[in-house]
Amino acid sequence: MAKSYQEINEKIARGEAVVVTAEEVIAIVKERGLKEAAQYVDVVTTATFGPMCSSGAFLNFGHADPPIRMGQITINGVEAYGGLAAVDTYLGATQPSQDKGIEYGGAHVISDLIAGKAVHLLAKSQGTDCYPRKEIDTWVKLEDLNEAYLFNPRNVYQNYNAAINGSSERLYTYMGILQPNMGNITYSTAGELSPLLNDPLLKTIGMGTRIFFGGAQGHVSWMGTQFNSACPRDEKGYPQTPGATLALIGNMKEMNPKYIRGAVYEGYGTSMFVGVGIPIPILNEEMMAFVAVENKDLYTNVIDYSVPKKAKPSLKKVSYAELRSGAVDINGKIIKTSPLSSLKMAREIADELGNWIKKGQFFLQEPIQSFPQGNAIKGLEIKEGESR
Amino acid sequence: MTKKILLSFPQKAAGQPMAMELIKTYHLDFSILKAFIDDNIKGTLLLEIKGSEADIEAGIVYLREHQIGVRDIESVVEVDQAKCVSCGACTAVCAVDALEMTADWSLVHHDDKCLECMLCVKACPMRAIHAII
Ligand code: SF4
Ligand code: SF4
Repeated sequence: MAKSYQEINEKIARGEAVVVTAEEVIAIVKERGLKEAAQYVDVVTTATFGPMCSSGAFLNFGHADPPIRMGQITINGVEAYGGLAAVDTYLGATQPSQDKGIEYGGAHVISDLIAGKAVHLLAKSQGTDCYPRKEIDTWVKLEDLNEAYLFNPRNVYQNYNAAINGSSERLYTYMGILQPNMGNITYSTAGELSPLLNDPLLKTIGMGTRIFFGGAQGHVSWMGTQFNSACPRDEKGYPQTPGATLALIGNMKEMNPKYIRGAVYEGYGTSMFVGVGIPIPILNEEMMAFVAVENKDLYTNVIDYSVPKKAKPSLKKVSYAELRSGAVDINGKIIKTSPLSSLKMAREIADELGNWIKKGQFFLQEPIQSFPQGNAIKGLEIKEGESR
Repeated sequence: MTKKILLSFPQKAAGQPMAMELIKTYHLDFSILKAFIDDNIKGTLLLEIKGSEADIEAGIVYLREHQIGVRDIESVVEVDQAKCVSCGACTAVCAVDALEMTADWSLVHHDDKCLECMLCVKACPMRAIHAII
Protein backbone atom coordinates (compact mmCIF):
# COMPACT_ATOMS: atom_id res chain seq x y z
CA MET A 1 0.00 0.00 0.00
CA ALA A 2 1.53 3.29 -1.08
CA LYS A 3 1.62 6.37 1.17
CA SER A 4 1.52 9.99 0.08
CA TYR A 5 3.60 12.89 1.37
CA GLN A 6 0.41 14.33 2.79
CA GLU A 7 -0.46 11.16 4.69
CA ILE A 8 3.02 11.04 6.20
CA ASN A 9 2.86 14.73 7.15
CA GLU A 10 -0.50 14.17 8.83
CA LYS A 11 1.07 11.37 10.88
CA ILE A 12 3.93 13.71 11.80
CA ALA A 13 1.41 16.36 12.90
CA ARG A 14 -0.35 13.78 15.11
CA GLY A 15 3.00 12.68 16.56
CA GLU A 16 2.47 9.17 15.17
CA ALA A 17 5.09 8.98 12.44
CA VAL A 18 7.56 6.11 12.69
CA VAL A 19 11.00 7.57 12.03
CA VAL A 20 14.27 5.61 12.02
CA THR A 21 17.76 6.21 10.66
CA ALA A 22 19.12 4.62 7.49
CA GLU A 23 21.31 2.41 9.69
CA GLU A 24 18.50 1.30 12.00
CA VAL A 25 16.18 0.51 9.11
CA ILE A 26 18.40 -2.32 7.86
CA ALA A 27 17.55 -4.58 10.81
CA ILE A 28 13.85 -3.65 10.58
CA VAL A 29 13.67 -4.76 6.95
CA LYS A 30 15.52 -8.00 7.76
CA GLU A 31 13.14 -8.74 10.61
CA ARG A 32 9.81 -7.79 9.07
CA GLY A 33 10.41 -8.11 5.37
CA LEU A 34 10.11 -5.34 2.78
CA LYS A 35 6.35 -5.21 2.57
CA GLU A 36 5.58 -4.98 6.27
CA ALA A 37 8.55 -2.67 6.94
CA ALA A 38 7.33 -0.30 4.20
CA GLN A 39 3.97 -0.06 5.94
CA TYR A 40 5.47 0.34 9.39
CA VAL A 41 8.19 2.95 8.73
CA ASP A 42 7.19 6.41 7.50
CA VAL A 43 10.46 8.29 7.28
CA VAL A 44 14.11 7.23 7.17
CA THR A 45 16.68 9.84 8.11
CA THR A 46 20.06 10.03 6.35
CA ALA A 47 22.97 12.32 7.11
CA THR A 48 26.55 13.26 6.42
CA PHE A 49 29.15 15.51 8.04
CA GLY A 50 32.23 16.08 5.96
CA PRO A 51 34.33 18.56 4.01
CA MET A 52 32.38 20.29 1.22
CA CYS A 53 34.53 22.85 -0.57
CA SER A 54 31.85 24.19 -2.87
CA SER A 55 30.11 26.20 -0.18
CA GLY A 56 29.64 29.84 0.75
CA ALA A 57 27.38 32.55 2.08
CA PHE A 58 25.37 35.43 0.67
CA LEU A 59 25.45 38.38 3.08
CA ASN A 60 23.73 41.77 3.09
CA PHE A 61 25.28 44.32 5.44
CA GLY A 62 22.70 47.11 5.26
CA HIS A 63 23.56 50.70 4.37
CA ALA A 64 25.83 53.05 6.33
CA ASP A 65 25.28 56.80 6.36
CA PRO A 66 26.51 58.14 3.98
CA PRO A 67 26.21 54.90 1.98
CA ILE A 68 28.95 53.00 0.13
CA ARG A 69 28.88 50.80 -2.95
CA MET A 70 31.28 48.14 -1.65
CA GLY A 71 33.93 47.18 -4.22
CA GLN A 72 36.89 45.51 -2.53
CA ILE A 73 35.59 43.72 0.54
CA THR A 74 37.37 41.74 3.27
CA ILE A 75 35.85 40.09 6.34
CA ASN A 76 38.41 39.19 9.03
CA GLY A 77 40.98 39.59 6.28
CA VAL A 78 39.23 37.17 3.89
CA GLU A 79 38.23 38.61 0.53
CA ALA A 80 34.53 38.48 -0.37
CA TYR A 81 33.05 39.12 -3.81
CA GLY A 82 32.47 42.79 -4.66
CA GLY A 83 30.63 42.35 -7.92
CA LEU A 84 27.07 42.36 -6.63
CA ALA A 85 24.86 45.29 -5.59
CA ALA A 86 26.12 47.89 -3.11
CA VAL A 87 26.04 45.97 0.17
CA ASP A 88 25.55 42.37 -1.02
CA THR A 89 28.42 39.94 -1.13
CA TYR A 90 29.24 36.26 -1.53
CA LEU A 91 31.87 34.82 0.76
CA GLY A 92 33.37 31.57 -0.54
CA ALA A 93 34.34 28.86 1.94
CA THR A 94 37.75 28.13 0.38
CA GLN A 95 38.96 31.76 0.10
CA PRO A 96 42.19 32.02 2.15
CA SER A 97 42.78 35.05 4.38
CA GLN A 98 45.24 37.70 3.29
CA ASP A 99 47.36 37.40 6.43
CA LYS A 100 46.82 33.87 7.76
CA GLY A 101 46.49 32.03 4.45
CA ILE A 102 44.60 28.73 4.46
CA GLU A 103 44.72 28.46 8.27
CA TYR A 104 41.81 30.92 8.39
CA GLY A 105 39.57 31.11 5.34
CA GLY A 106 36.03 31.91 4.29
CA ALA A 107 34.71 28.81 6.04
CA HIS A 108 36.18 30.00 9.34
CA VAL A 109 34.55 33.42 8.93
CA ILE A 110 31.22 31.70 8.25
CA SER A 111 31.47 29.51 11.35
CA ASP A 112 32.58 32.49 13.46
CA LEU A 113 29.54 34.43 12.26
CA ILE A 114 27.23 31.51 13.08
CA ALA A 115 28.87 31.31 16.52
CA GLY A 116 27.77 34.93 17.08
CA LYS A 117 31.26 36.45 16.98
CA ALA A 118 31.90 39.98 15.73
CA VAL A 119 33.86 40.05 12.46
CA HIS A 120 35.93 42.87 10.99
CA LEU A 121 34.44 44.32 7.81
CA LEU A 122 36.60 46.47 5.54
CA ALA A 123 35.36 47.76 2.19
CA LYS A 124 36.52 50.24 -0.41
CA SER A 125 34.84 51.97 -3.29
CA GLN A 126 35.48 54.55 -6.01
CA GLY A 127 32.61 56.63 -4.65
CA THR A 128 29.64 57.53 -6.87
CA ASP A 129 27.05 60.30 -6.83
CA CYS A 130 24.53 58.03 -5.19
CA TYR A 131 27.05 56.17 -2.96
CA PRO A 132 29.56 58.85 -1.92
CA ARG A 133 31.42 56.90 0.82
CA LYS A 134 34.81 55.54 -0.25
CA GLU A 135 35.79 53.43 2.72
CA ILE A 136 34.21 51.59 5.58
CA ASP A 137 35.88 49.97 8.59
CA THR A 138 33.55 48.38 11.13
CA TRP A 139 32.64 45.27 13.10
CA VAL A 140 29.48 43.26 12.48
CA LYS A 141 27.72 40.26 13.98
CA LEU A 142 25.34 37.87 12.28
CA GLU A 143 22.38 39.46 14.08
CA ASP A 144 23.32 42.88 12.57
CA LEU A 145 23.03 41.65 8.99
CA ASN A 146 19.81 41.90 7.00
CA GLU A 147 20.13 38.53 5.33
CA ALA A 148 22.75 35.82 5.71
CA TYR A 149 22.21 32.48 4.03
CA LEU A 150 24.44 29.67 2.97
CA PHE A 151 24.12 28.84 -0.69
CA ASN A 152 26.34 25.86 -1.39
CA PRO A 153 26.56 25.06 -5.11
CA ARG A 154 27.79 21.47 -4.66
CA ASN A 155 27.25 19.43 -1.52
CA VAL A 156 26.44 15.86 -0.41
CA TYR A 157 28.16 13.97 -3.21
CA GLN A 158 26.43 10.72 -4.08
CA ASN A 159 29.39 8.40 -3.58
CA TYR A 160 33.02 9.50 -3.89
CA ASN A 161 36.38 7.97 -4.73
CA ALA A 162 38.67 6.45 -2.15
CA ALA A 163 42.24 7.78 -2.49
CA ILE A 164 45.65 6.11 -2.56
CA ASN A 165 49.15 7.28 -3.49
CA GLY A 166 51.20 5.11 -5.83
CA SER A 167 54.19 7.48 -5.93
CA SER A 168 57.25 7.56 -3.68
CA GLU A 169 56.47 11.04 -2.30
CA ARG A 170 53.95 11.96 0.38
CA LEU A 171 50.93 13.78 -1.14
CA TYR A 172 48.91 16.58 0.46
CA THR A 173 45.40 16.52 -1.03
CA TYR A 174 41.77 17.32 -0.37
CA MET A 175 41.56 13.62 0.44
CA GLY A 176 43.96 14.21 3.33
CA ILE A 177 47.61 13.22 3.59
CA LEU A 178 48.43 10.21 1.45
CA GLN A 179 51.52 8.25 2.45
CA PRO A 180 53.97 7.16 -0.28
CA ASN A 181 54.13 3.68 -1.82
CA MET A 182 50.43 2.96 -1.31
CA GLY A 183 50.88 3.53 2.44
CA ASN A 184 47.22 4.27 3.17
CA ILE A 185 43.75 4.77 1.74
CA THR A 186 41.32 7.55 2.65
CA TYR A 187 37.60 7.71 1.89
CA SER A 188 34.86 10.22 2.57
CA THR A 189 31.28 9.16 2.92
CA ALA A 190 28.72 8.05 5.44
CA GLY A 191 28.07 4.90 3.30
CA GLU A 192 24.74 3.31 4.17
CA LEU A 193 23.78 6.48 6.12
CA SER A 194 24.72 8.81 3.25
CA PRO A 195 21.76 10.85 1.90
CA LEU A 196 21.99 10.33 -1.84
CA LEU A 197 23.04 6.67 -1.60
CA ASN A 198 19.69 5.98 0.08
CA ASP A 199 17.72 7.43 -2.81
CA PRO A 200 20.02 6.54 -5.69
CA LEU A 201 17.64 7.64 -8.47
CA LEU A 202 16.55 10.79 -6.59
CA LYS A 203 12.90 9.75 -6.57
CA THR A 204 12.11 11.77 -3.44
CA ILE A 205 14.91 14.36 -3.45
CA GLY A 206 14.55 17.31 -5.79
CA MET A 207 14.09 21.04 -5.90
CA GLY A 208 12.40 22.21 -2.71
CA THR A 209 13.08 19.14 -0.56
CA ARG A 210 13.27 20.27 3.08
CA ILE A 211 16.45 19.20 4.83
CA PHE A 212 18.56 19.53 7.98
CA PHE A 213 21.22 22.02 6.97
CA GLY A 214 23.87 23.08 9.47
CA GLY A 215 21.37 22.78 12.30
CA ALA A 216 18.64 24.77 10.53
CA GLN A 217 15.79 23.69 8.29
CA GLY A 218 17.03 24.38 4.78
CA HIS A 219 16.14 23.31 1.28
CA VAL A 220 17.52 21.69 -1.81
CA SER A 221 17.55 24.61 -4.23
CA TRP A 222 18.85 23.09 -7.45
CA MET A 223 20.89 20.21 -8.80
CA GLY A 224 24.47 20.58 -7.60
CA THR A 225 27.27 21.47 -9.99
CA GLN A 226 28.96 18.54 -11.78
CA PHE A 227 25.67 16.67 -11.36
CA ASN A 228 26.48 13.28 -12.85
CA SER A 229 23.32 11.20 -12.91
CA ALA A 230 24.73 9.42 -16.00
CA CYS A 231 27.38 7.75 -13.81
CA PRO A 232 27.87 3.97 -13.97
CA ARG A 233 25.42 2.12 -11.69
CA ASP A 234 24.87 -1.40 -10.43
CA GLU A 235 21.75 -3.34 -11.45
CA LYS A 236 19.74 -1.77 -8.60
CA GLY A 237 20.70 1.76 -9.56
CA TYR A 238 23.38 2.57 -6.96
CA PRO A 239 26.20 4.74 -8.38
CA GLN A 240 29.64 3.14 -8.61
CA THR A 241 31.47 6.47 -8.99
CA PRO A 242 30.75 10.08 -7.94
CA GLY A 243 27.15 10.69 -9.06
CA ALA A 244 24.53 13.30 -8.21
CA THR A 245 25.20 16.41 -6.12
CA LEU A 246 22.89 19.03 -4.60
CA ALA A 247 22.87 22.81 -4.29
CA LEU A 248 21.62 23.70 -0.81
CA ILE A 249 20.23 26.83 0.75
CA GLY A 250 19.57 27.72 4.38
CA ASN A 251 19.37 30.58 6.86
CA MET A 252 22.67 31.09 8.71
CA LYS A 253 20.83 32.84 11.54
CA GLU A 254 19.17 29.53 12.44
CA MET A 255 22.32 27.43 12.15
CA ASN A 256 24.50 25.89 14.86
CA PRO A 257 28.30 26.34 14.73
CA LYS A 258 28.64 22.71 15.74
CA TYR A 259 27.48 21.64 12.29
CA ILE A 260 29.32 24.21 10.15
CA ARG A 261 33.06 24.24 10.77
CA GLY A 262 36.09 25.67 9.03
CA ALA A 263 38.67 23.07 8.05
CA VAL A 264 42.25 23.12 6.79
CA TYR A 265 43.78 20.54 4.48
CA GLU A 266 47.54 20.84 4.76
CA GLY A 267 49.16 21.84 1.49
CA TYR A 268 45.76 22.10 -0.18
CA GLY A 269 43.52 24.76 1.30
CA THR A 270 40.55 25.73 3.41
CA SER A 271 37.32 23.77 3.29
CA MET A 272 34.11 23.62 5.28
CA PHE A 273 32.61 20.72 7.19
CA VAL A 274 28.88 20.86 6.51
CA GLY A 275 26.28 18.86 8.40
CA VAL A 276 23.37 17.76 6.21
CA GLY A 277 20.46 15.46 6.97
CA ILE A 278 17.84 14.42 4.43
CA PRO A 279 14.59 12.63 5.28
CA ILE A 280 13.49 9.91 2.85
CA PRO A 281 9.73 9.31 2.86
CA ILE A 282 8.86 5.61 2.63
CA LEU A 283 6.16 6.08 0.01
CA ASN A 284 6.23 2.46 -1.14
CA GLU A 285 8.19 -0.79 -1.12
CA GLU A 286 10.54 0.50 -3.79
CA MET A 287 11.76 3.31 -1.50
CA MET A 288 12.03 0.88 1.39
CA ALA A 289 14.24 -1.38 -0.74
CA PHE A 290 16.49 1.56 -1.62
CA VAL A 291 17.04 2.71 1.98
CA ALA A 292 17.71 -0.84 3.18
CA VAL A 293 21.05 -0.81 1.33
CA GLU A 294 24.10 -1.89 3.34
CA ASN A 295 27.76 -0.92 3.24
CA LYS A 296 28.64 -4.31 1.81
CA ASP A 297 26.55 -3.55 -1.29
CA LEU A 298 27.84 -0.02 -1.90
CA TYR A 299 31.01 0.24 -3.98
CA THR A 300 33.57 2.83 -4.93
CA ASN A 301 36.98 2.87 -6.62
CA VAL A 302 40.40 3.26 -5.02
CA ILE A 303 41.94 5.97 -7.18
CA ASP A 304 45.65 6.73 -7.47
CA TYR A 305 45.93 10.46 -6.67
CA SER A 306 49.61 10.57 -7.65
CA VAL A 307 48.66 10.52 -11.35
CA PRO A 308 48.57 14.23 -12.33
CA LYS A 309 45.76 13.77 -14.87
CA LYS A 310 42.03 14.28 -14.77
CA ALA A 311 41.43 10.60 -15.50
CA LYS A 312 43.23 8.84 -12.66
CA PRO A 313 43.47 5.05 -12.68
CA SER A 314 41.41 2.89 -10.34
CA LEU A 315 43.41 0.22 -8.51
CA LYS A 316 40.45 -1.67 -7.14
CA LYS A 317 36.70 -1.58 -6.70
CA VAL A 318 35.91 -1.89 -2.98
CA SER A 319 32.78 -1.94 -0.86
CA TYR A 320 32.20 0.49 1.99
CA ALA A 321 32.13 -2.51 4.34
CA GLU A 322 35.73 -3.23 3.31
CA LEU A 323 36.74 0.41 3.72
CA ARG A 324 35.06 0.58 7.13
CA SER A 325 36.85 -2.60 8.27
CA GLY A 326 40.08 -0.59 8.59
CA ALA A 327 42.13 -2.34 5.93
CA VAL A 328 41.85 -3.30 2.27
CA ASP A 329 43.87 -5.88 0.36
CA ILE A 330 45.33 -4.48 -2.86
CA ASN A 331 47.35 -6.97 -4.88
CA GLY A 332 48.24 -8.91 -1.76
CA LYS A 333 49.25 -5.86 0.26
CA ILE A 334 47.09 -5.04 3.31
CA ILE A 335 46.55 -1.28 3.31
CA LYS A 336 45.13 0.73 6.19
CA THR A 337 41.98 2.79 5.49
CA SER A 338 40.93 6.03 7.19
CA PRO A 339 37.70 8.01 6.97
CA LEU A 340 37.68 11.77 6.30
CA SER A 341 34.04 12.51 7.07
CA SER A 342 32.66 11.97 10.55
CA LEU A 343 30.27 9.04 10.90
CA LYS A 344 29.84 9.90 14.58
CA MET A 345 28.54 13.40 13.75
CA ALA A 346 26.48 12.06 10.83
CA ARG A 347 24.72 9.71 13.25
CA GLU A 348 24.07 12.60 15.61
CA ILE A 349 22.51 14.60 12.75
CA ALA A 350 20.34 11.68 11.59
CA ASP A 351 19.09 11.32 15.18
CA GLU A 352 18.51 15.05 15.58
CA LEU A 353 16.51 15.24 12.35
CA GLY A 354 14.54 12.19 13.49
CA ASN A 355 13.72 13.94 16.76
CA TRP A 356 12.50 17.04 14.94
CA ILE A 357 10.16 14.90 12.85
CA LYS A 358 8.91 12.86 15.82
CA LYS A 359 8.18 16.06 17.75
CA GLY A 360 6.22 17.51 14.82
CA GLN A 361 8.72 20.31 14.23
CA PHE A 362 9.78 19.24 10.76
CA PHE A 363 7.53 18.30 7.86
CA LEU A 364 8.34 16.69 4.53
CA GLN A 365 8.30 18.86 1.42
CA GLU A 366 7.56 17.07 -1.83
CA PRO A 367 9.98 18.22 -4.57
CA ILE A 368 8.47 20.82 -6.87
CA GLN A 369 10.72 19.58 -9.66
CA SER A 370 12.81 16.44 -10.13
CA PHE A 371 16.38 16.47 -11.36
CA PRO A 372 17.32 15.02 -14.77
CA GLN A 373 18.39 11.44 -15.22
CA GLY A 374 21.24 10.69 -17.63
CA ASN A 375 22.91 14.05 -17.06
CA ALA A 376 26.65 13.68 -17.85
CA ILE A 377 29.41 16.10 -16.88
CA LYS A 378 31.62 17.84 -19.38
CA GLY A 379 35.32 18.59 -19.17
CA LEU A 380 37.02 21.82 -20.17
CA GLU A 381 38.71 21.79 -23.54
CA ILE A 382 41.75 24.01 -24.03
CA LYS A 383 41.36 25.90 -27.31
CA GLU A 384 44.28 27.71 -28.88
CA GLY A 385 44.23 31.16 -30.43
CA GLU A 386 41.42 33.70 -30.65
CA SER A 387 37.83 33.06 -29.71
CA ARG A 388 36.07 30.51 -31.88
CA MET B 1 63.45 3.97 38.37
CA THR B 2 61.70 3.54 35.01
CA LYS B 3 61.74 6.13 32.32
CA LYS B 4 60.39 6.40 28.80
CA ILE B 5 62.76 8.06 26.35
CA LEU B 6 62.65 8.76 22.67
CA LEU B 7 65.90 8.47 20.73
CA SER B 8 66.35 10.00 17.34
CA PHE B 9 69.15 9.17 14.93
CA PRO B 10 70.32 11.53 12.24
CA GLN B 11 70.40 8.78 9.60
CA LYS B 12 68.12 5.83 9.38
CA ALA B 13 68.96 2.91 11.63
CA ALA B 14 72.65 3.90 11.89
CA GLY B 15 72.57 4.74 15.58
CA GLN B 16 70.40 1.90 16.74
CA PRO B 17 73.02 -0.80 17.61
CA MET B 18 75.22 1.82 19.22
CA ALA B 19 72.37 2.97 21.45
CA MET B 20 71.81 -0.59 22.65
CA GLU B 21 75.51 -1.03 23.42
CA LEU B 22 75.74 2.18 25.38
CA ILE B 23 72.71 1.37 27.42
CA LYS B 24 74.17 -2.05 28.25
CA THR B 25 77.43 -0.53 29.53
CA TYR B 26 75.38 1.53 31.95
CA HIS B 27 73.59 -1.59 33.26
CA LEU B 28 70.22 -0.32 32.08
CA ASP B 29 67.36 -2.69 31.43
CA PHE B 30 65.40 -1.62 28.44
CA SER B 31 62.57 -2.66 26.20
CA ILE B 32 61.91 -1.26 22.76
CA LEU B 33 58.38 0.08 22.75
CA LYS B 34 58.45 1.21 19.14
CA ALA B 35 60.97 1.56 16.37
CA PHE B 36 60.01 3.78 13.51
CA ILE B 37 62.18 4.20 10.47
CA ASP B 38 60.83 6.04 7.52
CA ASP B 39 62.60 7.04 4.32
CA ASN B 40 61.37 10.57 4.75
CA ILE B 41 62.06 10.93 8.44
CA LYS B 42 65.00 10.23 10.67
CA GLY B 43 65.01 6.97 12.61
CA THR B 44 63.30 7.05 15.98
CA LEU B 45 63.23 4.56 18.81
CA LEU B 46 60.99 4.72 21.84
CA LEU B 47 62.52 2.90 24.81
CA GLU B 48 61.50 2.17 28.34
CA ILE B 49 64.63 2.05 30.47
CA LYS B 50 65.09 0.77 34.00
CA GLY B 51 68.07 1.41 36.29
CA SER B 52 69.41 3.65 39.01
CA GLU B 53 68.89 7.35 38.51
CA ALA B 54 72.65 7.96 38.23
CA ASP B 55 73.09 5.25 35.61
CA ILE B 56 70.17 6.55 33.55
CA GLU B 57 71.56 10.05 33.65
CA ALA B 58 75.05 8.95 32.69
CA GLY B 59 73.68 6.79 29.87
CA ILE B 60 71.70 9.69 28.47
CA VAL B 61 74.75 11.96 28.57
CA TYR B 62 76.68 9.32 26.68
CA LEU B 63 73.97 8.96 24.01
CA ARG B 64 73.84 12.70 23.50
CA GLU B 65 77.62 12.86 23.11
CA HIS B 66 77.18 10.43 20.23
CA GLN B 67 74.75 12.68 18.37
CA ILE B 68 71.69 10.70 19.37
CA GLY B 69 68.75 12.89 20.34
CA VAL B 70 67.16 11.93 23.67
CA ARG B 71 63.82 13.10 24.99
CA ASP B 72 61.68 12.21 27.98
CA ILE B 73 58.22 11.23 26.88
CA GLU B 74 54.86 11.24 28.59
CA SER B 75 52.24 12.19 26.05
CA VAL B 76 53.49 14.21 23.15
CA VAL B 77 50.32 15.21 21.46
CA GLU B 78 47.02 16.32 22.91
CA VAL B 79 43.63 16.16 21.20
CA ASP B 80 41.29 19.05 22.01
CA GLN B 81 37.95 17.26 22.39
CA ALA B 82 35.98 20.49 21.89
CA LYS B 83 37.45 20.87 18.42
CA CYS B 84 37.66 17.22 17.36
CA VAL B 85 34.80 16.03 15.16
CA SER B 86 36.02 12.42 14.93
CA CYS B 87 36.52 12.66 11.18
CA GLY B 88 39.47 10.27 11.24
CA ALA B 89 41.83 12.22 8.96
CA CYS B 90 44.60 12.06 11.57
CA THR B 91 44.51 8.27 11.73
CA ALA B 92 45.65 8.19 8.10
CA VAL B 93 49.15 9.38 9.00
CA CYS B 94 49.66 7.63 12.34
CA ALA B 95 51.95 4.71 11.55
CA VAL B 96 51.61 3.06 14.96
CA ASP B 97 47.83 3.36 15.51
CA ALA B 98 48.26 5.73 18.45
CA LEU B 99 45.29 7.50 16.89
CA GLU B 100 42.43 5.11 16.25
CA MET B 101 38.71 5.07 15.65
CA THR B 102 36.76 3.23 18.36
CA ALA B 103 33.88 0.88 17.61
CA ASP B 104 31.42 3.81 17.76
CA TRP B 105 33.64 5.88 15.43
CA SER B 106 35.01 8.30 18.02
CA LEU B 107 38.67 9.21 17.90
CA VAL B 108 40.90 7.86 20.67
CA HIS B 109 44.55 8.73 21.32
CA HIS B 110 46.76 6.12 23.03
CA ASP B 111 49.54 8.07 24.79
CA ASP B 112 51.68 5.01 25.31
CA LYS B 113 51.91 4.17 21.61
CA CYS B 114 52.74 7.66 20.38
CA LEU B 115 56.08 8.22 18.63
CA GLU B 116 56.04 12.04 18.46
CA CYS B 117 56.36 12.05 14.69
CA MET B 118 53.96 15.05 14.75
CA LEU B 119 52.44 14.16 11.41
CA CYS B 120 48.95 14.17 12.87
CA VAL B 121 49.23 17.81 13.95
CA LYS B 122 49.18 18.94 10.33
CA ALA B 123 46.80 16.22 9.19
CA CYS B 124 43.95 17.45 11.41
CA PRO B 125 41.59 19.72 9.43
CA MET B 126 40.10 21.07 12.67
CA ARG B 127 43.54 21.90 14.07
CA ALA B 128 42.45 19.99 17.17
CA ILE B 129 45.81 18.28 17.77
CA HIS B 130 48.52 20.18 19.60
CA ALA B 131 52.11 19.17 20.13
CA ILE B 132 53.00 19.60 23.77
CA ILE B 133 56.75 19.62 23.29
S1 SF4 C 1 41.73 14.77 12.31
FE1 SF4 C 1 41.34 16.18 14.03
S2 SF4 C 1 39.10 16.39 14.05
FE2 SF4 C 1 39.56 14.60 12.80
S3 SF4 C 1 39.48 12.87 14.23
FE3 SF4 C 1 41.62 13.54 14.17
S4 SF4 C 1 41.80 15.02 15.86
FE4 SF4 C 1 39.62 14.74 15.49
S1 SF4 D 1 52.56 12.16 16.83
FE1 SF4 D 1 50.52 11.70 16.04
S2 SF4 D 1 50.84 10.57 14.14
FE2 SF4 D 1 52.78 10.54 15.28
S3 SF4 D 1 52.71 8.66 16.46
FE3 SF4 D 1 51.89 10.25 17.81
S4 SF4 D 1 49.69 10.18 17.48
FE4 SF4 D 1 50.63 9.03 15.78
